[in-house]
Amino acid sequence: MTLETDLPTAAPIAPVADTAGTGVQDASRRTRRPSKPNALRSERPGVRFAAWAAVIVCGGFALLPVYWLLATSLTPRTEVFAYPPQFFPSTVSWEAYESLFTNPTLFNYLRNSIIVSVITAVLSVLVSAYMGYAFSKFRYTGRRALMYFVLSSQMFPQALLLVTLYSVFAAYGLLNTYTALVLSFTTFTLPLCVWMLKGFFDTIPDELIEAARVDGASRLRIIHSIVLPLSAPGLVAAGLFAFVRGWNDFIFALTLAGPDKQTLPPGLVNTYIGEASTAWPELMAASLVVSLPVAIAFISLQRFLVGGLTAGAVKG
Amino acid sequence: MTTTAPSSQLSTTSNKPKRLSDGVFAFLLVLPGLALLLAVVVYPLITALVTAFFKQSLVLPGREFVGFQNIIDVLTGEFSRLLWQTLVFTIGTTLFPFVIGFALALALNTRIRGAKVLRGLMLIPWLVPGVVVSFLWMWIFNANYGVMNALLEGIGLIDQPQAWLAQPATAMGAVILAKTWQSFPWMMVMLLAGLQTVPRELHEAAEIDGAGTIRRFFSITVPQLKGIIGLVLLLEFIWNFQHFDIIYVLTGGGPAGSTQTFATAVYETAFHGFDLGHAGAIGLLWMVLLMALVVVYVRFSEKGEER
Repeated sequence: MTLETDLPTAAPIAPVADTAGTGVQDASRRTRRPSKPNALRSERPGVRFAAWAAVIVCGGFALLPVYWLLATSLTPRTEVFAYPPQFFPSTVSWEAYESLFTNPTLFNYLRNSIIVSVITAVLSVLVSAYMGYAFSKFRYTGRRALMYFVLSSQMFPQALLLVTLYSVFAAYGLLNTYTALVLSFTTFTLPLCVWMLKGFFDTIPDELIEAARVDGASRLRIIHSIVLPLSAPGLVAAGLFAFVRGWNDFIFALTLAGPDKQTLPPGLVNTYIGEASTAWPELMAASLVVSLPVAIAFISLQRFLVGGLTAGAVKG
Repeated sequence: MTTTAPSSQLSTTSNKPKRLSDGVFAFLLVLPGLALLLAVVVYPLITALVTAFFKQSLVLPGREFVGFQNIIDVLTGEFSRLLWQTLVFTIGTTLFPFVIGFALALALNTRIRGAKVLRGLMLIPWLVPGVVVSFLWMWIFNANYGVMNALLEGIGLIDQPQAWLAQPATAMGAVILAKTWQSFPWMMVMLLAGLQTVPRELHEAAEIDGAGTIRRFFSITVPQLKGIIGLVLLLEFIWNFQHFDIIYVLTGGGPAGSTQTFATAVYETAFHGFDLGHAGAIGLLWMVLLMALVVVYVRFSEKGEER
């Protein structure tokens, strides 16, 4: 709102900030095309050709496997075991999806996945909001050290942590519980979520907080009634990231939970992998179904994508 | 009436006789997250490293101090093989996605038609969960009915179907390809974002001065993107150095240990061999290497901040 007056000075850094914050297309929209008549690289035929060649080769690598996933999931079971494989199934069959949704074991894994990921998302937003706020609006000794500590915690190998984390959870009787999964997932969402939310809190003007303080609001009240409502999109984005983190996890759910508490990723491995003849259409259908919530979460937070991912990586 | 009541309430809360200092308040805010990090990351990490000096089993109680015996065992045993295989996997899964991601970023940055839709489609591999990547490529590489065999036989590159994931000679390459498929979209997004911050005027001025496309790529694009290129390579390297999911599901470290990396070796030793001491020793050496990488990363990001 007050940005209008600052525009001349803000202009040189604006494209950088925009790219980090709102995705990539905004920066290109900003350039005014009519005033640049001659120089566009895309007008050169050689460059255009190279661009299309790259897109076709790399695009094939990216998308042919996706097609194959989809095609296999719709292939009748009898047709899958053929060599050379049928690139186009002769008939579209939904039997793989049908047997998927009538399998009680898989349904149990699905339920576990939903419970664990949702609780992880809520807990993660709570914990990282307080932490992010403490990093954003307060200055104290040890702040930078703490911030680096939180950031660096994502660099520690999880396979190694599990060597004793397993025994720790066993000692407290937490093995094969949702608690063990939620606590571990939440911890590993912290670096990203804390940084995302810190970025949001940084944009809230100090004057606003100062004004609330002058009016007599307590610091906790400022957080709950001013800062968090203003950062609602950030909270949603952080929550979705945390949800996806829990949803996608493999190694913790594989190790810390038994078959009745396991989530879908290790559950699918247990169900399908290592059998004499894998039910490929069913496994591909299951893969598609597992990927859907992630895709939906992603589409809803696309504009935070680059910002959220780079924030944790570059800002100190 | 209604306006005075809340304001007087507020002033009493802020006029409390003992008000916490800002530092203490901030610490209280940090506390829940800090407690989680200490309990789930720091404590297990330290105790895991300590087990390197003990003979300890996952299933039996008690342990016995053995000094450096475990570490010597690892160093004289599997260490060089693990280091080599981890490096092959890490370098492969960093460089290939970088090349593909950079090529795509450059192509999409020329604003060919449909660039936005294409960018969205290219993100699919990065969106699907790691186990799904494994399932899909396991099916593609399937020895009997796999589409990879059909494809390569079709264009005459192989004479007969290969069991890609079951042959020591081809397993690592197959795993790297699957991980590359998962990683390149992230590289593409990051580099595309970087490309769009390169000022157009630089390219225009250089073009007026007669610089060709290739010359401008090396004299403008690459130097302008130095920071982001370094960042994505370093981060991807650190992540892949500890990658677990795709290797574990695709090959479990096999065949004959040919795709075993530090991550899968630590896991296998602890949870299938039950030998925590030996797993801790592999982990300790792994951590030393990883810490060196993280130091480089922190230096790098601090330098980026000064710019």
